[in-house]
Amino acid sequence: MTTTTAAPSKQGIPEIVTNSAAPRPSGWLSWLTSTDHKRIGIMYIVASWMFLVIGGVEALLIRLQLAVPDNTLLSPQTYNALFTMHGTTMIFLFLMPMIAGIANYTVPLMIGARDMAFPRLNALSLWLFIAGGIVFYGSLLFSPAECGWTCYAPLSETAFSPSNGVDSWIFLVHLTGIASFIGALNIFVTITNMRAPGMSWGRVPLFVWTMLTQAILLIISIPVIAGAVTLLLTDRHFGTHFYDPSNGGSPLLWQHLFWFFGHPEVYILVLPGFGVISEILPVFSRKPIFGYKAIVAATLAIAVIGTLVWAHHMFTVPLPFYLLIFFMLGTYLVAIPTGVKIFNWVFTMWRGAIEFPVAMLYSIGFLATFLLGGITGIFLATFPVDWQLHDTYFVVAHFHYTIVGGAVFAMMAGLYYWFPKMTGRMMDEKLGKVSFGLTLGGFWITFLIQHSAGLSGMPRRVYEYADVNNLGLYNMISTIGSFILALGVLLTIVNIVQSVKKGAKAGPDPWRGNTLEWFTPSPPPVNNFDIVPRVRSVEPMQDIRRQIERQDRVGDEAGVGAGS
Amino acid sequence: MTSRPAKTSLLFGIVLVLALLLPAAGAFAGVLAPESGGGTPNAEGIRSLYLLIFGLGCIVFFGVGGLIIWTLVRYRASKGAVAVQVHGNNRLEVGWTVGAALLLVLIAIVTFLKLDQIKNPPNSSASGLATPRNVAFNSGPATPAVPPNGHSLNIDVNGQQYIWRYSYADTDTNNLNNVFAYEQMVVPTNTTVSLSIRAQDVQHSWWIPELGGKFDAVPGYTNYTWFKISKPGTYSGQCAELCGRGHATMIASVKAVSPAEFKVWYASQKAAIMAAEKQAATARNALVAKDAAALKTAPQDAAAPSAPAPVAAIDGKKIFVAGVPATGALACGSCHALKDAGTNAAVGPPLDVVLKGQSAAMIKASILYPNKIISKGYAANIMPANYSATLTKPQLDALVKYVNDAVNGK
Repeated sequence: MTTTTAAPSKQGIPEIVTNSAAPRPSGWLSWLTSTDHKRIGIMYIVASWMFLVIGGVEALLIRLQLAVPDNTLLSPQTYNALFTMHGTTMIFLFLMPMIAGIANYTVPLMIGARDMAFPRLNALSLWLFIAGGIVFYGSLLFSPAECGWTCYAPLSETAFSPSNGVDSWIFLVHLTGIASFIGALNIFVTITNMRAPGMSWGRVPLFVWTMLTQAILLIISIPVIAGAVTLLLTDRHFGTHFYDPSNGGSPLLWQHLFWFFGHPEVYILVLPGFGVISEILPVFSRKPIFGYKAIVAATLAIAVIGTLVWAHHMFTVPLPFYLLIFFMLGTYLVAIPTGVKIFNWVFTMWRGAIEFPVAMLYSIGFLATFLLGGITGIFLATFPVDWQLHDTYFVVAHFHYTIVGGAVFAMMAGLYYWFPKMTGRMMDEKLGKVSFGLTLGGFWITFLIQHSAGLSGMPRRVYEYADVNNLGLYNMISTIGSFILALGVLLTIVNIVQSVKKGAKAGPDPWRGNTLEWFTPSPPPVNNFDIVPRVRSVEPMQDIRRQIERQDRVGDEAGVGAGS
Repeated sequence: MTSRPAKTSLLFGIVLVLALLLPAAGAFAGVLAPESGGGTPNAEGIRSLYLLIFGLGCIVFFGVGGLIIWTLVRYRASKGAVAVQVHGNNRLEVGWTVGAALLLVLIAIVTFLKLDQIKNPPNSSASGLATPRNVAFNSGPATPAVPPNGHSLNIDVNGQQYIWRYSYADTDTNNLNNVFAYEQMVVPTNTTVSLSIRAQDVQHSWWIPELGGKFDAVPGYTNYTWFKISKPGTYSGQCAELCGRGHATMIASVKAVSPAEFKVWYASQKAAIMAAEKQAATARNALVAKDAAALKTAPQDAAAPSAPAPVAAIDGKKIFVAGVPATGALACGSCHALKDAGTNAAVGPPLDVVLKGQSAAMIKASILYPNKIISKGYAANIMPANYSATLTKPQLDALVKYVNDAVNGK
């Protein structure tokens, strides 16, 4: 595109002269046809936030319906469709693509690569995900699925769900599944092959470690859910009976296959969050991460054990007793590496010099929220206790604490942290802090009380409830909290829109970061790096800063320093 | 960069939440722990196990939470503060790994100690109802909940969109004559009640919070649980697994009464069911008598007794409503609803729906080989498969013709 020739100048010294340069593609078409990992990452993030707004409105409608007992605002059909769309949207169309977007943008930069290993496959992933979202929301035109994001058979079979809503859900799982699968292969190959010189496995940033682990989990679990929904599709349309008990099929087959994907999916969502936190805490504590190796080992341990505990979602179905014990103890085991991580994070801040930009506040909000989500996980892992709590609002509270606390807050932290890199501009810290306060406060008001609603006998997925055991009060508190939470998220959206154009200029390294993405300008050029520095530790930017200081000092001593 | 207001508001928020929760704990029964109160040992066991984990969880939450807050306050960036550049501490890290493991070992041990109380039903008390030996048989991966002496009141719980049906086991092996009830289950106090939980359409989940945990009713499987109530009263619950649009209204309750009162209820329920059946039988017999009278006036072909009677002469409707008692052919109408015949039983699928648009040959095949084609949501081996023996060919043809005409029009 750019042809350069060395032309002799007047003094006879060769200099580079540009003869012709094709204009850079511009306009919206350049985005649609882009294979640049940075643009794809931004498109992922923008699309996922659109779905966040849709999923959030669905959540608010759910909370409005539940605000008072025996409410008649929504019909049962609408209500069931809403929670199905809310869960599916938040998992497949918000969190997964949001993580994919952040990872797409940052992983090549963090490892000093010039793009992903397969840029065109990368674009394919993005567009398959968007196609999945369109197919799913296309079902709004007829009648959306009403079987929950778990879509248990036989409720999801044609006999009980005759509308095509379930079919569009199946295709959503297929399309976003293929997108995730290809994306995971891409991330895996990129990380294993394209790291900067000197970046041995012991120097890979922790976010990159978690993305590598997440990619492996996706490669293991996505084919299983793809198989499961294919069997459902043939049951629905081609006369098979995989999940039909009156013809020798088994509803439990669906549950095993679904949760064999569904439980690793939880770690697919939270592990990248763990990675983001492990990047942000050291930067703003001005300390190295505490126990790098332990955190990497814990990440891998969570992935391995997390793949083997799926039936703890099935403690109430008819299972042999020894399986209940196996899955209870297995789930306890996951708690150990998770606990290790929390202590490592706390001790990363310990004896540091802690600063509190919004990215750090979200990281701290993550710690407190995820801590409670982890603890309530132990209640649910203990199967006799789970017999009481299963499928109640206690579980709803628990998984929002882990997924919003573990994944969403971490991604918010990541957004505030990497926004200057992506746009070259800072986000508004003041507005960000107000947004953070409302989001965290709203979240705790919404979901803490839901534990009590569950303990007082309220099952999940009910469109109405009788006013017994103070359920009316609990639900009203929860509904009020949900609107505070929504306001907080809205302010962050306002912040993003404002800051893209009007934010203060960021410069290449506004946070004094540790990793290589802060080595290039913000936003980085298409090729990311003109030179890739040799990596000598987990914190290459610290090394580079120290080296510059040293050179400056040497220069000062020689009297030719930068200041003179 | 330090934001004191954010920290203060965080602290304030936590204190506020606690302040709201603590006084509420007394007034609000279910605010911090699952419900119990029926005096059934399994619910009490689960509650005490929950409370132990709750206590340990509080220690961990407030311990770690306090550590986080203290760290944030103590080590916030300030003039002259220097971050200590440490990369880890093996002793400390091994310490908290082992600590976390020990905590979980403790919870596991207490769970195993409590398990007997939660899982295994005790014998009925002397003051309870004297029950026959439980005849529940193990038909799936889960094991029946039968007390050590084998005597318990066995109730079959059947979930269906959107109601619970309870069938009380009696001493004979015929399940069709059992006393049954819908929505509210009446049980005797101080008596071990074993439940066999099934579903006939989609998955449901049996849950009465005060009487212990929930157990899913999965089509094609049998699940088991039990309770032994010491306090008379009505305990309510509802279906806990999404089962369709009526999920929220699929409620259940268990009314515990003294064994004497239970016997009275049981007898009256049985009488009420028998009275209803008798009424239905009278209506059936009236129809049969009317048909018989019509047959008498019809011309009989006495000259050729071996020749098959013409189809028109045999009343398919009569066979449908009354069966052929002489050969033991059961009446279709006692299990199937058919508008034309005026039957509305729901043991089998409603014929107006499932046979709509089917050919006569298909209807015939469905009568002769009932297990070949089964309507969704219905189990195999419920309909007798002996109609090829109990009906003559003309009778069968007449029946098929009648059903076909009734469903699909003449």
